[in-house]
Amino acid sequence: MTAMVPSILPPLLLIGPLAVAVFLLTLPWFRESLPETLATDQGSVALLERIHLGSIGYVFLLSAAALVQVLSNGAIAAFGDWLFVDALGAVFMMLIGVVGLLTGLYSIAYIRHDLEAGLIDAGKVRIYYGFFSLFLFTMLLAVTANNIIMMWAAIEATTLGSAFLVGLYGQKSSLEAAWKYVVICTVGVAFGLYGTVLVFSNAADVLADPHQAVLWTALVGHAAELDPMLVKLAFVFALIGFGTKAGIFPMHAWLPDAHSEAPSPVSGLLSGVLLKCALLIVIRFYVITVGTVGVGFPQTLLLTLGVLSVGVSSLLFFVQQDLKRKLAYSSIENVGLIVVALGVGGPLGIAAALLHAINHSVTKALFFCTAGNVLMKYGTRDLRAVKGVLRAAPATGLLMMACALALAGFPPFNIFVSEFMVFMAGLNEGYGWIMALVALFLCITIAGLVKIVADSVLGKSPETMAKGDVGWRALAPLGVLAVLVLMLGFAVPQPLSDLVQQATAVVMNGDSRPVVAAPWQQYDTVRAGGPLVTGSLSQTEISK
Amino acid sequence: MNGFLIVNGLSGLLIVSSLLVTLAGNPANSARFYALQSFILVMLFVALAGATGSGELYLWSFTALLTKVILVPAIMYRTFRRLSDPAIGSGAVMPTALSIVGAAVAVILCFGVASKVTLPAADAIKPALAVSLALFFIGLGCIVAQRNILKQVFGYCLMENGSHLTLALLAPNAPELVEIGIATDAIFAVVVMAALGSRIFDTLHTLDARQLTSLKG
Repeated sequence: MTAMVPSILPPLLLIGPLAVAVFLLTLPWFRESLPETLATDQGSVALLERIHLGSIGYVFLLSAAALVQVLSNGAIAAFGDWLFVDALGAVFMMLIGVVGLLTGLYSIAYIRHDLEAGLIDAGKVRIYYGFFSLFLFTMLLAVTANNIIMMWAAIEATTLGSAFLVGLYGQKSSLEAAWKYVVICTVGVAFGLYGTVLVFSNAADVLADPHQAVLWTALVGHAAELDPMLVKLAFVFALIGFGTKAGIFPMHAWLPDAHSEAPSPVSGLLSGVLLKCALLIVIRFYVITVGTVGVGFPQTLLLTLGVLSVGVSSLLFFVQQDLKRKLAYSSIENVGLIVVALGVGGPLGIAAALLHAINHSVTKALFFCTAGNVLMKYGTRDLRAVKGVLRAAPATGLLMMACALALAGFPPFNIFVSEFMVFMAGLNEGYGWIMALVALFLCITIAGLVKIVADSVLGKSPETMAKGDVGWRALAPLGVLAVLVLMLGFAVPQPLSDLVQQATAVVMNGDSRPVVAAPWQQYDTVRAGGPLVTGSLSQTEISK
Repeated sequence: MNGFLIVNGLSGLLIVSSLLVTLAGNPANSARFYALQSFILVMLFVALAGATGSGELYLWSFTALLTKVILVPAIMYRTFRRLSDPAIGSGAVMPTALSIVGAAVAVILCFGVASKVTLPAADAIKPALAVSLALFFIGLGCIVAQRNILKQVFGYCLMENGSHLTLALLAPNAPELVEIGIATDAIFAVVVMAALGSRIFDTLHTLDARQLTSLKG
């Protein structure tokens, strides 16, 4: 491990959203001593929105600053290395910053609508924005933690921070979803704790200083000295535990309920970012396990669970009629695909997994928010009632069509690029049959997505439905997300490609540089007789 | 070696107390038994601290006494006392005898796993290590085989006690902050679950997990 550069950015990044959350959630306790605008619920909504905007803007800017620092100087750390951001963590920190900002902006229109429709009262608006910032803080803590116990605590905290967001509407179904979410994830993550404790106890025995045994960077450096039996056991526990949070089959039971019952921007954040943060912790344990017992054991487990996740969720996706539940199953499928890519391994497999995590994050956040627009317009998530979105709300309809095509993996959208990389990696590593099986399952999903386009986006809108789209506040953030989806589909920008390469090097625990690019970006290489996405190129080849 | 004998002996009492938590007639009584179990755990920490000479463990014992014996049971007792759903009785899905047999099987299996651990630190405390793992799975069983959502919360608490004990046994010199992190998170988890459980009771007038089935497919 190269030395980490001390930096004030990680703690600064965390303190902003935490301060906003604490302020908003404890507001009633000192409300009487505040000016009148804040003292009434009605008067405070506008101010709450401004505070919320400040919080998401702060997280976006600080995470961008940290990202730039990581890209130029390498890993940064603070608080005796308890907090750190390496290239791997930076990938996920970036997702929190970008998707947090855009779903946060979308929240303004969405929550205003819910308030006007009487679905929530003004008090709930404060709860919503308070927990939104708290949720961002807990996810940031999870991706910046170097202390493995803190990693666990942060993942556990993400559940506690977002449970009230899932149950925000206070109806029977949302309370039920929140309860299942908390119980299944807390119990699941308790497995994660056990796995963490096993690794830590083991390392505390091996390393001279028990204070080092808690640091992931130190554990990776000494992985070869750990007890293989305990590390295998710990990996199983960690995979069950953090895999529950990531939505890997068969621990996914909470996911469709929570994603469908949460307010749509939160669904986007859950699916787009939270699942990926949990995956990051799985990846961190994977790195330790590979260091101790080699790639065979963890890759077999990941491949098995990944293929099962893709298979089961594609079938459930197809038969589901609730739009947001359908999208939730699609999230399980895409997480499954990321896990398959990790299981395939090799530099290209790891890079494909990371790029797919990024691409799925923006695409699914966009789709959930678009589903939010549909919900605002139609008042239902039932696809049997949602028809002719393109006629009733043209911009939303167009976005929905783009989302469906993107998610189905059609070019020129971003999912195509990373899915292509996953399949190339699988074929490179000799998993032809497994990739064929996965491709078959993906075809089922494509059929389901085409059905959404044919029946719901196109089709005839109900006679009584007034024409006209939702307001610009609900469309503008989605427009930005859509541009991202398209842009990443045309080409992987150089800085992102660099970041994914550096993150892959962290996972591979060495300097391996896979090609991270869309197939057509390699046109020149192929024309010159070079190979297409062959895994890794040496440093000299890249500089050419 | 006497200290380790006490540690192993006390760990046996943990299994008994976990069964009391699981099988208690109502959540308020479970809270009392949970306090009892946590007290046994604290004594075990003290015995272990004496046997290993770990200063950190004395600190742990103190924080565990505050959080697990006093704070968490008090929160649960105060919240759960006013919530009762006579329709589900004890909420147990299995007969009592079967639960006890199940716990016994868990303990035996965990002894098998613990005997394979080769860490030098684990040599003297293998029975207690097996119990800590068994406690984790008894907690899981308590959640799976319970209809009363409030008693499911205790399942989580048992799992957490199990992990905590494993940590203390295998890494008695762990930094105090590690332990505080775990304890704080567990408190928040219980508070959130208690708050949600109360809201469910206030809104739906039931504590029965089987009534929470409107979301399917």
